[in-house]
Amino acid sequence: MIELIAALQPLVVGAVLLWSARVKLLSRHAAATVDRSALVRLVGHSRALPAYRLLGGFELTLGGLLLLPPAQPWEAVAAAALAAGFLGYLGYARRVAPTSSCGCLSTQTAPVSGRSLGRAGLLIAAAGLAASAGGGWFTALTARPTGGTVVLLVELAAVVALSPELDRNWLLPLRQLRMRITHPLRGTSGVPLLATVQQLQRSDAYRQVSPLLRSDVREHWDDDGWRFVGHAARYQGRPATAVFAVPLADPEPTSVRVAVVDEATGQTLISLAGAPPAAGPHLTVVPA
Amino acid sequence: MNQTLDRRRLLATAALGGMVGATGLGSLAPDAAFAAEASAIEPGLPDPNFAEGRISKISGNMLLVTGSDTVLHSIRVTDGTSIWKLRPTTFDRVATGDGLYARGVRLPDGTLAADSVWVNIVNVHGHITSVGRNVLHLDHKGQRIVAHVVPQVSAAVYNGAPAVSDLSLLRVGRHVQVLGAWHPDTNEIDIATVYAAA
Repeated sequence: MIELIAALQPLVVGAVLLWSARVKLLSRHAAATVDRSALVRLVGHSRALPAYRLLGGFELTLGGLLLLPPAQPWEAVAAAALAAGFLGYLGYARRVAPTSSCGCLSTQTAPVSGRSLGRAGLLIAAAGLAASAGGGWFTALTARPTGGTVVLLVELAAVVALSPELDRNWLLPLRQLRMRITHPLRGTSGVPLLATVQQLQRSDAYRQVSPLLRSDVREHWDDDGWRFVGHAARYQGRPATAVFAVPLADPEPTSVRVAVVDEATGQTLISLAGAPPAAGPHLTVVPA
Repeated sequence: MNQTLDRRRLLATAALGGMVGATGLGSLAPDAAFAAEASAIEPGLPDPNFAEGRISKISGNMLLVTGSDTVLHSIRVTDGTSIWKLRPTTFDRVATGDGLYARGVRLPDGTLAADSVWVNIVNVHGHITSVGRNVLHLDHKGQRIVAHVVPQVSAAVYNGAPAVSDLSLLRVGRHVQVLGAWHPDTNEIDIATVYAAA
């Protein structure tokens, strides 16, 4: 079994290298991907894109050599050295520029994580195994097609699972599906306080008393279809309480009422009911 | 308790009993009654009427706060101070170690008489990486944040429309902005409002 696995490693490593080279050489977003990577820190801004393309060319050559016969052990050794270089680079990126993106197998932004390091380690192991293999991968695969296919699928699945930049293509859709089935945020009912605050802030009453308000919302309570919202206020030098009454069932700002009350004496200093819409021509703005 | 009820009844009656434009103290000329006090903030200097930091000590109605720039603030909480900690709350819910933003009036002795205090308030942008039972996992620049949905409190604003309490339109992979209350020294927050496209 171990011979079969070893014989198939050039195919795995070669396929990953070709995929990686495709991103580096053919992607239209390569320049932006480089800008987000730690390569800029490593070789400087002007040399980052040529270095990225050069690496892509190297990956293409090595990947092609690994896939095409004849199988030579030095190809696998070179691939192991390249993967070790990746591991070193990712370790450097994680230490020096932790917010930088990997830029490895996709143009998607994905910071270097433990998974990226694990993937580089997996490639080193695969390339090391490939160096010990005797024959070519094609002969091994035709000799044991079922076992070979299973090995290949498991390994490619491992590479994909260890690639944070590919999550968007398989992991997020799976999680979306789970969410669609289980409805974990079924939601609560009722009018949230923010909706009340938004309504009262658009009201004429609020516009008129807002210069008196000193504090954010201090308290709120519901009673008989109304929600009352209290702010600390100051009126003619004396502390007061501004209390807004907002109907829970009517979202119109015009139905908001307000009173400014001196709590020490119980006296109502100001009291405004919702003003009816102004007569005459007016512009109706409908939310899109 | 009865006192609270009586007080609320007084305030509710005042708010609902009003007539258009009526006032207990004569006319309400906007420029006279509502002239805002001019603020005197020197350009380029920190706003003296604002403070932020972590609470290192609470004594009486004073909060001793260490700012993120290591400046120490004494913040006085009064009867008229609004205190937010995920929701409008009271002074006894504020604890040592909490972070805060405070706005008020700087007194001559250097203390800040707070008008409003927002405890542990955070404003986070991120992507939803997964959703569990009443919990969102967010990716914020590669860091994981666990955002808890608090029933009856958490609200959602979709496409800038008025807030609703239904969070079920949130989608995995989408970008969101979350206003919430941090659990100090963790990567967890409680959601006050989540802003999203739907």
